Amino acid sequence: MATTLQFALPSIAGRRRRPDSRSIIRPVRCAADRQALFNRIAPVYDNLNDLFSLGRHRVWKRMTVSWSGVKEGDTVLDVCCGSGDLAFLLSEKVGISGKVIALDFSREQLQIAASRQSERSKACYKNIEWIEGDAVNLPFSKSSFDAATIGYGLRNIVDRRKAMEEMYKVLKPGSKVSILDFNKSTSSLNSSIQDWMIDYIVVPIASGYGLANEYHYLKNSIKEYLTGNELEMLAGEVGFSEAKFYEIGAGFMGNLVATR
Amino acid sequence: MVRRSGVLLKKVAAGISSRLAEILVCPLTKQPLRMCDKTNSLISDSIGVSYPIVDGIPRLVPSDGIILHSDQDLNSSDPPQTNSS
Repeated sequence: MATTLQFALPSIAGRRRRPDSRSIIRPVRCAADRQALFNRIAPVYDNLNDLFSLGRHRVWKRMTVSWSGVKEGDTVLDVCCGSGDLAFLLSEKVGISGKVIALDFSREQLQIAASRQSERSKACYKNIEWIEGDAVNLPFSKSSFDAATIGYGLRNIVDRRKAMEEMYKVLKPGSKVSILDFNKSTSSLNSSIQDWMIDYIVVPIASGYGLANEYHYLKNSIKEYLTGNELEMLAGEVGFSEAKFYEIGAGFMGNLVATR
Repeated sequence: MVRRSGVLLKKVAAGISSRLAEILVCPLTKQPLRMCDKTNSLISDSIGVSYPIVDGIPRLVPSDGIILHSDQDLNSSDPPQTNSS
């Protein structure tokens, strides 16, 4: 199967050496390594997101926010908030009577988020509070939030079950968590194209920023992630009453919606 | 109730909103946190750990916690919260 697919992929003109999958790239296994990684990419994270997705990540994030069921006046949580994209979208929905709590373990990402907040003039953005925290040890009391989101975060968490359990506890009964990430596709064509795009587009561009290893991590993290079905099952095991996974972005992205 | 309101007001003064102050707990024990004005930090009395607030952002990763060794560290002008969430 893999051999057939090789021929289906666009051939490289031979100028660029095929990435050696056997080369020693230090695995980014533990949480501390991942924290350091996200600290390192923080300065260019937003620009590269725009570049690699051709701006589409903004659309996917809006979909994530819609699926969360967030409404005006709500108190909502964004886990793995990074530089704040989802937090800003959530704050527009909850308005000045609502509150957005945005948590991340990367100090550098949070500093960028806070800077973006102070640069923006909309009154509702003042309702975002940034917390440096750990997704597997959330510092919030039970049943505190009307909705929650995680954008491109769950895949990077080492103990995903624990993170889902924490999310479950802090949500109010009946509330939803909306989780956006790369889709670990069961279609081998999709995953081959995803791999090719990372190897031949993402990593070369990232290497121009001196971040080749960091973005190489992306490919392995998708391979180690869960499929949509597996995510639905995990949500069910943790206690969510309903869980549905939606493929978006031509199947390269996916959004899990789980109800407490 | 009055004591809890007083503690919330102190957290608001530190730049933490009252809604956030009601929600925040120790990431390890899930018990309420006590604001310490002197050190601008959130204290988890049950385990004697202090979490700093830097540039208005509470650092509540468990490894950010500073173990409070002495009675002097533990004492503050703020009475401990009596309610747990």
